[in-house]
Amino acid sequence: MKTKLFSLLIVLLALSLSVSVFAAPFDPETFVYVGGAGGPQTLDPASSYDTASGEVIHQIYDNLFEYVDGELDNIGPMLATEVPTVANGLMSEDGRTIRVPIRQGVKFHSGATLTAEDVRYSFLRGMLADPAGGPMWMFFEPLLGVQTMRSVIEMAGGSGDFAAIDEVDPTILRKAYDLVAATIEVDGNDIVFHLVEPYPPFINILAKGGSWSAIICKDWMVANGDWDGNPDTWAKWYDLAIEDMTLYDHANGTGPFKLETWDKSGAQVLFSRFDEYWQGPASLKSVVIKNIPELATRQLMLRVGDADAIYVGQEDLPQVRSMPDVTVIDGLPQVTNTVLFYSFTIPVEGNEDLVGSGKLDGNGIPSDFFADVNVRKAFNYSFDYEAFLQEVALGAGVTPVGPIPQSLPYVNTEQEYYSNNPAKAAEYFKKAFDGELWEKGFEVGIVYNTGNNTRKTALEILEYNVESINPKFKVNVIGLEWATVLDKLRSASLPVFVMGWVMDFPDTHNFAVPFMHSTGTFAGYCGQGLIDLAKVEFDGLVEAGIKATDPVEREKIYFELQKRYVDLAVGMPFMEATTHRVMRDWVKGFIYSPAYSAQYDYYTIFKEQK
Amino acid sequence: MITYIARRLLFLPIVLIGVTLLVFVAMSFLSPYQLVSAYIKSPEELKNQSLDDLVRKYGLDQPVHVRYVSWVKNLLKGDLGYSVSANMSVTEAVAKRFPATIELALFAIIPVVLGGIWLGTISAKHYNRPLDHVTRTFAIIGWSLPDFVFGLILLMIFYGVLGWFPPGRLSMWADTVVLTGDFVRYTGLNTVDSLLNGRPDIFWDSVRHLIAPVITLSYLWWAYLLRITRSSMLEVMNKDYVRTARAKGLTEKVVVNRHVRRNAMIPVATVSGSMVLGLLGGVVIVETVFDYKGIGLLTATGAQQLDYTLILGTTLFYGMLLVLINLVVDVLYAVIDPRVRLE
Repeated sequence: MKTKLFSLLIVLLALSLSVSVFAAPFDPETFVYVGGAGGPQTLDPASSYDTASGEVIHQIYDNLFEYVDGELDNIGPMLATEVPTVANGLMSEDGRTIRVPIRQGVKFHSGATLTAEDVRYSFLRGMLADPAGGPMWMFFEPLLGVQTMRSVIEMAGGSGDFAAIDEVDPTILRKAYDLVAATIEVDGNDIVFHLVEPYPPFINILAKGGSWSAIICKDWMVANGDWDGNPDTWAKWYDLAIEDMTLYDHANGTGPFKLETWDKSGAQVLFSRFDEYWQGPASLKSVVIKNIPELATRQLMLRVGDADAIYVGQEDLPQVRSMPDVTVIDGLPQVTNTVLFYSFTIPVEGNEDLVGSGKLDGNGIPSDFFADVNVRKAFNYSFDYEAFLQEVALGAGVTPVGPIPQSLPYVNTEQEYYSNNPAKAAEYFKKAFDGELWEKGFEVGIVYNTGNNTRKTALEILEYNVESINPKFKVNVIGLEWATVLDKLRSASLPVFVMGWVMDFPDTHNFAVPFMHSTGTFAGYCGQGLIDLAKVEFDGLVEAGIKATDPVEREKIYFELQKRYVDLAVGMPFMEATTHRVMRDWVKGFIYSPAYSAQYDYYTIFKEQK
Repeated sequence: MITYIARRLLFLPIVLIGVTLLVFVAMSFLSPYQLVSAYIKSPEELKNQSLDDLVRKYGLDQPVHVRYVSWVKNLLKGDLGYSVSANMSVTEAVAKRFPATIELALFAIIPVVLGGIWLGTISAKHYNRPLDHVTRTFAIIGWSLPDFVFGLILLMIFYGVLGWFPPGRLSMWADTVVLTGDFVRYTGLNTVDSLLNGRPDIFWDSVRHLIAPVITLSYLWWAYLLRITRSSMLEVMNKDYVRTARAKGLTEKVVVNRHVRRNAMIPVATVSGSMVLGLLGGVVIVETVFDYKGIGLLTATGAQQLDYTLILGTTLFYGMLLVLINLVVDVLYAVIDPRVRLE
């Protein structure tokens, strides 16, 4: 009996070995990417606003324009045949009318042929659907001067304060539709956009990398139960839950890959090559994007060759650098900025864990603590930017010179910025609150989101340096769950917090609004004091910056905004991070673009063994 | 016996209502703005959108009792809500992930129970002799070794070095066949479905993916069962009726198998019940290390992302499972020990 069992075991092991040897030979036509930060939320371009969803949409759909070789300053046509400019007559002199000729003969995966009506439908359908928290504000702002469809309904004479859209009078809904529809017209084979004001980055918003401007097929959408273009029925598809949207887990684009399946329970997406792709078929026949949270498992898959590329966090890069047959490409520029924000008006009541006594008595801080520019400057001079960059971020980035990342245009890289300078910090702390602060001291809680150890270390550096200046100064680094951070952001009750911002489109305006405008995201989180300051110091310039079409004029405006932001120490930008990719040596044709939310553009990639 | 089972079944809805109430009350301590973090994944989604709008959209501004009643109404219609972390309805998520866990549990349960009892019996039979020491050391190591460490060691050796037992449930080629081909899903169990589809290659591939997690689970649970069986056996071995059996001249094999082991099985059955529940409820660490997409990994991910609809759904599911498995364990008591039946 024992002999039989032993023989059986040997046979099983032999079989196992043979299967493992022959099951997964090098396959030059299949690419496997294993991520670790979560799968897509949706495949619908109208609601997609996360990088994992953008990764999938990028492979399936095309846009009107693309960044040639991934370069931000080199836009070329994609589904359009020309890039509109004033010079070629496709953009009006005032920059408010933009004509886009649409490429002919392009096929969708369904077999249908692309028309100008498909392009118009793609944008109209997205704007009318306007999922909450989605990306459609990028069209509303240039085309209608508002942020949401709710605001368009207000423009049409309705109340924007409705709980459900069926509460709104149908005649108002029709007027709202007319307002939106009038912004995009079909003229023969062309699409004509009518902008409310000149909006220099509008072409960027339409370029590849922006999942929100992917072109979809109208007939296919209608056949699959979506809006049919009827001006009186659009509200039925307004702000649906993402899983109720037609393109949530279905897709039909003109891109180089077709969606085979999105296996949500297995956290993987399978693509197959679209052989009729208008730019010619891709080298890869199949692409698989998987998500495996455990780094060790991902590393083993890369080592064995079951994965062609994997996600590795910056802090774990040293683990893969020495792996044989693995390429690490790092130092890839991103358009992002990580900033320490100060709240100018902090609620004191119920916020004792962060503001202590709520008074300037050495045991807390008053509500207007960071409204004093001297305090903000003192904090900015207390951070060791260089040590953080080299020792914590392992050199993966640069120190900012203001709120706008240096990889964008109109940034004054010569702008004098803060450095670790205890003497200057002490000087400003002494000036603050007419010297009272220096005499009495303070205690404040500064917050990061739990799990982000890089940010935690940054705050610990600040804590150490501030406390070294005066023994009466007490800084408490506090980790809060992301959920709690959101809760406190709503009431602007975090005195100091860290947050990062990644671009949607490569234009300075995409950073100027959230960081400096009184209606921007961070003004809302930093209290009335900042809103009031922004109205005086920034709003006019931010609004002038986006309307200006002359590059010289724009540069002047944004240089001034940057100077004011730095001089007033509104926040403490401390890191413009770079990114990296980890792949097997046999992966070739990788093109990087900071504009892509996708880790890889699989169209250009091919595999070649040494 | 039937009355006993019926009485236990009557407890089922009470337990379930209790479970839902407990979880909902716990959730009610979170503010709507904390709950909204389950729906937005990054600051990107906060751009030009107020948190209040998001709270209103997802109905998180409703009082907790309104949300509870609405949830129970949907529950009665078979709708457990939508899980944002799983990107599908909770019912669908549980239905899709549970077969994977069942498959892992089925493959693990036989070696775990038989191996644990066998090792425990050997240890008791050779009490304080070298074999006992060896098995006890084996048990202590198994119990002390964190499962993620043991799992990673297995993964490194048998996948990273030898390439035998890969992570996941299927290899990429097999996954492609199962997801995109004419492969018919009957049970959700890859081993069973592959045989029903006439694909022995996929069957073998799924077995290869099960071996390492099964070994990990087996070793951890062997240690536990070995200790229980051993101590229970040692206790029974000193009973009068065992001495009587020996005095009657029965062989040691008969004494152990018929008189000792059977009576020592009651605590083992109890432990096995909770062990089955543990396996069916999902083994989070093992599923994470081996990227085995079962229900444990699903629940853990949901909890990390504050996906309260999923947490409620899976907690309810566990509640049902717990009651049913306890019922099975109670019936097993009656089978093993006739005195329970008489009571």
